[in-house]
Amino acid sequence: MRLLRAGRWITAIALLLLAGVYVRALVYTPVERLQGLAQKIYYLHVPAAIWAETAMIIVGIASIFYLFLKDPRLDRFAHASAEVGTVFAVLMLTTGPIWGKPIWGTWWSWDARLTLALFLFLLYVGYLLLRSAVADPASRARFAAVLGICGMVLVPFVHFSVYMFRTLHPMPIVLKPSAPSLPGNMLATWLFSVAVFTLLYVGFVTQRYALSYLREQLEATVGGGDSGMGHA
Amino acid sequence: MPDTVPQNGGYMVAAYVVGAVVLISYALSLYLRTRPRLPA
Repeated sequence: MRLLRAGRWITAIALLLLAGVYVRALVYTPVERLQGLAQKIYYLHVPAAIWAETAMIIVGIASIFYLFLKDPRLDRFAHASAEVGTVFAVLMLTTGPIWGKPIWGTWWSWDARLTLALFLFLLYVGYLLLRSAVADPASRARFAAVLGICGMVLVPFVHFSVYMFRTLHPMPIVLKPSAPSLPGNMLATWLFSVAVFTLLYVGFVTQRYALSYLREQLEATVGGGDSGMGHA
Repeated sequence: MPDTVPQNGGYMVAAYVVGAVVLISYALSLYLRTRPRLPA
């Protein structure tokens, strides 16, 4: 299948470029004086957070269109984006506390940003669990679409929680109305990382979409028996 | 302003290892799930 091959190639290239991000961030990007080496977690944590949020927005948009058009491709795409978003949310929620411990002195704080980010992850998990719990494809797609739209509505609250509430989490230093407060060298590394995470998202979603498509085709031909593929 | 840069490189290494493990594991899981099983 051409789509699957394309997804594998994009992922392979993105993983190679990710190695480049590691080298650039760890070797060629200066150490921040106040936070020390722990600040370099920024180049992983923030791109992962951006794509954890963006993936859910994409799930929501695809879900809205699905409810109107009933096109199974939109449901497949939303499912793929949700699974990949879950992976980025895991990355966000693991690198965040590892960064927080040396800087804040604690792994976790139940402040608005961290709690809402955890809630976003739980919504992703709920979305995937819902999909695996409903057998009828039409009902599954409809229920999942409603949850996906709820997830999309949550994203602005996650992102703007640092402005709405007093939180331990810092405000954005790049994605803000004024100019980025990051030196050029650090900004270049961060932009490179965001570009690689974007490519990873595209590669992962393409493969996950192809997996759903192949599974549906095989289930249709063998009448729901063993398709020769693993479970979702 | 501290005189010396904080020594917390271990946290950075941990985060980058976690990042690599999560992303490579998911890439591998996609590869294995999309690879059809060979007939016995």
